[in-house]
Amino acid sequence: MISQGDQLLDQLRQYDARKHQLRSQISDPQLNSSARRMNEQTQTQTIPINTSLTQYRYSTHTYTSLKIKDDKPHYVPPINFATVESNLFRSGHPQPNNFSFLKTLNLKTIIYLGDKTDNYEYYKWINDNGISFRFFKMELPNSFGIQHEFNDQVALNTILNLLLNNVNYPILIHSNKGKHRVGVLVGLIRKFLQGWSMSGIFDEYGKFAREKGEGDMEFIELFKPILKIDLNTRPNFVRLSNQEEEEELE
Amino acid sequence: MGEEEKDKDKDKVKAKKDKAPPKDAILIEQLPNLATPNDAATSTTITKPPSLRIVPPLNFCPVERRLYRSGQPSAINHSFLEQLNLKSIIWLAIEDPQDNFLRFIDENNINFFYNLGYDSIDSNSWDGLSESSIKQALEVIADEKNHPLLVCCGMGRHRTGTVIGCLRKLQGWNLASVSEEYRRFTGVRGGRILVELLIEAFDVGTIQIDKEVAPDWLIR
Repeated sequence: MISQGDQLLDQLRQYDARKHQLRSQISDPQLNSSARRMNEQTQTQTIPINTSLTQYRYSTHTYTSLKIKDDKPHYVPPINFATVESNLFRSGHPQPNNFSFLKTLNLKTIIYLGDKTDNYEYYKWINDNGISFRFFKMELPNSFGIQHEFNDQVALNTILNLLLNNVNYPILIHSNKGKHRVGVLVGLIRKFLQGWSMSGIFDEYGKFAREKGEGDMEFIELFKPILKIDLNTRPNFVRLSNQEEEEELE
Repeated sequence: MGEEEKDKDKDKVKAKKDKAPPKDAILIEQLPNLATPNDAATSTTITKPPSLRIVPPLNFCPVERRLYRSGQPSAINHSFLEQLNLKSIIWLAIEDPQDNFLRFIDENNINFFYNLGYDSIDSNSWDGLSESSIKQALEVIADEKNHPLLVCCGMGRHRTGTVIGCLRKLQGWNLASVSEEYRRFTGVRGGRILVELLIEAFDVGTIQIDKEVAPDWLIR
């Protein structure tokens, strides 16, 4: 029995070959009709070799439509949801249809960077589930991006220090779209707590933002936090400078 | 847009913001707020990132706890990979991995699952993964004793994306979110419809999950 997925692959492969064939004919306008006919002949001669092979492999009937089981999805993750590290997640603003998914994460803390204060259904859900909620008000200067002002810098520093205490995990950090403000925060985690190269950080930022933030990447580069790290309560992913390495560099 | 219109828009936004709360509503300020930073007395203060930086492989991203995805790592990524304490790697590309990657796998005693994408002699690197390859990969993922696990192919886009997409379907995610995640890694040229079709047509009922050995994020 040939599975539906494999059949699909094979049909598309054949379709692709046919398309290339047609294209090569069209792209050569110099070809006169007899030459084209000859060309067709030679091509029809070459096709059977392939088809006999595939017919041998797929001797059952050909699908002309997809058979798809109508399974109802169990979970709808929030927009731009992703795992940052074990028990640390990022996303855009959760909606009521995301609650059953969020429940599976067993969250202890949610950190919100944003300006919305009227999602009452969400607050009720947080309250009912006994999740600790930290709200950092961040107004947007334009349509997006972190304001490079004192307030926001203090907020980000506070958040980084919350993330350094493993008592608070599992944590979800979210903004409205999960692009810029969360992107900056994750960038800072990658840089200061894990020591990633800036190129890797910018790449990750771009994957989620899909557009240029207003100075967000510069912010990640220039920000200087003050971190309080306790070796006994730091999360596993935090990577500290090796003392010997540091001395070697100096 | 004129200044006046802008002001109007601002008013509209403000009116939306000030939507009156329902009667028994819990306000954002009233939520429990128990998260704390480390005790300053027992902590050391750090203001600099580590000087020796680690470089993530192309298209690297954590998928779930102790499960990662990426493109083919090069030598510069080895110190990064060492942090993950990998136990296994799934290689989905048809091409052989680079020598330094194989050496890294060897030196770190990592289980290497390869030839999954190699279905027959006429397989091409641009062909999609066959269903049996996807199943094999998912069976490796569904066994926690293979974790920490890295799933990778040449670029970490389509083949890796197919397997992770099917995994998400197995986890019960809705297709729109699966597709959003897949496209995050496909670069400017975007996703391949074939890959999304494969994920859509994939029948998760054919995968047997052994609850004894599966990671907890897969059974919930």
